[in-house]
Amino acid sequence: MMLLAKAALGLGGTLVLAGAYTMREGVIRVDVDEYRSGGSHVHMWVPAAAVSMAMHFVPSKHMRRASEQAREALPVLHAIIKELRKYPDADLVEVVDDDQHVHVRTHGGKLQIDVDAPDEKVHVLCPLSALDDVTSQLEERSPAA
Amino acid sequence: MSNLSRRMSSRKDVMSNCSRGLLAKSTLAATALLLLAPFGVVAQSSSGSSKSSSTSSSSDRWLHVRVISSDAKGETVRVNVPLELAEKVLPTINKDRIHGGKVKIDNAHVNDVDLRALVEAIRTAKDGEFVTVQSNDSDVRVAKQNNHLIVHVLDKQNSKRSEVEVKVPMKVIDALFSAGKDELDLVAALHALSAQGDTELVSVKDHENTVRVWLDSKNVTD
Repeated sequence: MMLLAKAALGLGGTLVLAGAYTMREGVIRVDVDEYRSGGSHVHMWVPAAAVSMAMHFVPSKHMRRASEQAREALPVLHAIIKELRKYPDADLVEVVDDDQHVHVRTHGGKLQIDVDAPDEKVHVLCPLSALDDVTSQLEERSPAA
Repeated sequence: MSNLSRRMSSRKDVMSNCSRGLLAKSTLAATALLLLAPFGVVAQSSSGSSKSSSTSSSSDRWLHVRVISSDAKGETVRVNVPLELAEKVLPTINKDRIHGGKVKIDNAHVNDVDLRALVEAIRTAKDGEFVTVQSNDSDVRVAKQNNHLIVHVLDKQNSKRSEVEVKVPMKVIDALFSAGKDELDLVAALHALSAQGDTELVSVKDHENTVRVWLDSKNVTD
């Protein structure tokens, strides 16, 4: 019993530390529902820190290609995200008509994009810090850097 | 004596077993608590963040655009942009005519009008009406008033009246033309705009759309 308790404490402590480290930046949530035949339904929930951690393991040739493709947009994206972090709770864009609703805002330091239309629903929630990490890493690994 | 020591020793064993079990149970409970703790922390942080108010300071200036369409779909568009964000992002855009926060203008686009001289003339002129056109089709008025350039157009054609009013502070116009020849300094104009008080810049009203562009310190549209 004592041995089991010690093992449990060790395992629990490790899991807690790993969990706290992984969750420190929050989670990325992506929900896509297309209401048509063959429409896709994607529901994804990923710890934000895991994404930037995983990027370190992406082969450099793939990273170079990705940053090459995004080369023009990266400085703009980086500047937008860096500035948006100063505005953790702000409504940026809202489009409403009789059957659609599009909302882009920052909420609790996360970028939130909601699209509610009769044929599809898209909800994306991503911590700005994670987006900043991703764009910074892409910029660092670009061929020009 | 030996009976007493034996009794004490057996009591010690019982206590030892008891405390060992208690310790093991409490260790298991602590482990379970530790395992559940991150979820609590995540839940707390998310509820905390939802409660937290905006940290953008009152000195932040926001540019708002609102379009309300009164057609069958009743579309409403609201865009709120922090001026500081626009100031920082514009210089990073290098596409076509926009470079380093400045936009190039060709002579062809201004029909050989020396815009710089025109702006200088308006800037040094006293307040007053520069252009007034009144006809059956439309009324046009261009004036300088309280250091603002005002353009007012009233279109009276086809019974579908539309009204456009543009009101730009002179300091913003000065900043816009502060760059070199044949270019407009958008970043300088935005910077000058951020120093202005709450003001309405553009207002368009016609039979099916209302457009309003204004500047204030609120981070949400009213």
